[in-house]
Amino acid sequence: MNSLLNIVWLLSFFVFIVYGQRIQIYIVANDISRALNRLKLMKDKSRKEAIDYFVGTGKTSADPATKIDEFLEYVTIMPVDLDPQGIVGKIEHITQTRDERVRSEVKRILPSAEPVKVSVAENILEIASSLNMIHKIVRHYYLLGKKTNSYILLVQLQMIMPQVLLEADALINAVDTFKMGQPVGDGIGPIIASKYMLNIPKQTVAKDTVMSVTEYKGRTLYVLKAEGPMGYVGEPGIAIQKVIEEMNVPLNAIIMVDAALKLEGEKTGDVAEGIGAAIGGIGTDKFRIEDVSSKHKVPVYAILVKQSILEAITVMRKEITDASDKVHTLIANLIEEQTKEGDKILLAGIGNSLGVGQ
Amino acid sequence: MSVPSTAQAPPQQQAGKVKLSVYTIEECPACGQKTKRAFQIGDYITKDGAKCSKCGNTAKITLIYAEPVVKSK
Repeated sequence: MNSLLNIVWLLSFFVFIVYGQRIQIYIVANDISRALNRLKLMKDKSRKEAIDYFVGTGKTSADPATKIDEFLEYVTIMPVDLDPQGIVGKIEHITQTRDERVRSEVKRILPSAEPVKVSVAENILEIASSLNMIHKIVRHYYLLGKKTNSYILLVQLQMIMPQVLLEADALINAVDTFKMGQPVGDGIGPIIASKYMLNIPKQTVAKDTVMSVTEYKGRTLYVLKAEGPMGYVGEPGIAIQKVIEEMNVPLNAIIMVDAALKLEGEKTGDVAEGIGAAIGGIGTDKFRIEDVSSKHKVPVYAILVKQSILEAITVMRKEITDASDKVHTLIANLIEEQTKEGDKILLAGIGNSLGVGQ
Repeated sequence: MSVPSTAQAPPQQQAGKVKLSVYTIEECPACGQKTKRAFQIGDYITKDGAKCSKCGNTAKITLIYAEPVVKSK
């Protein structure tokens, strides 16, 4: 009996030495495969939601599925960065062309839909397209790892899967919010700006971006936000540049209010104050704002409302709206302490304006 | 915010592991009376709301937000 146990022990020792990595590959691959299945379910659900939204909104007998499938495979080829001189302009041109193309195609499928529904359709398509891309990339590395028996490749993929799933989960949860036209957490900037724009004439200063001019404590306040209640983010970079360089407004300060991703441990709705252009995205707007403000020596102040990625793209939480009062106080303090009567100040509410009018 | 609330139950939404109820807050620009009601499709911030129950002026939607669903005992 004792010798039999010794043989089993020696055999298992041999098996683990020779086949240990294969066993680990098998376990890791199984783990990734389960996550990949979850991603596939999310991808399929978002595609179905997009098709249902187009069918329900367009009230057309034509099946938009083929067109939507084409959208999901739509690629944006970023410019070459071997010579980075002028690359921001090229990126901006490419992203603008892509956005215009998507909007024109959505309008073609939904010719009689109101602007809010067109913008919601664009957002849902973007979510479906992102999930499709995430699934494809994860599947690529999973299959490549299995094909080449690369333990390192698979284990790296396994390590980042919880974060990938977290982001994918946030995206799929955002679909319901967008379908209902509810403000998202990222809309806190536009909500703040809209309070200063009530009952004041608005003018369009850039694509999907509106501005009002008002008086505040003896200062002239230029307030801008993306045009709501559509789900747009607008072009605040171009708008601010236009105000300074085309409309020749000698600004004394720029105040930007935006949502910011919180670090783990930080509370949702915490407010942080700082210096610099508070704006996310691919970087083209940020570049323009930094460029024009440094050229004209305009200080840029930032007010950030902390939230998670899930909270930023799903329905606005009470904790985030509760931060509004603090943000208004900070804006008032900044204006009073950093500017004087007669000064011209630009207040930009950055973020998605879905469900936020002006 | 302590505001009078309408009896209608708001639609529930799932966000991650949390179930949320979405509410619309209407505020009267004249008397400041606030009303909390369930969110309805088509609501947006700055949209005109119902007549104010206190002074009869047209209220405006000032906030839309979600709160976790409170489980009844």
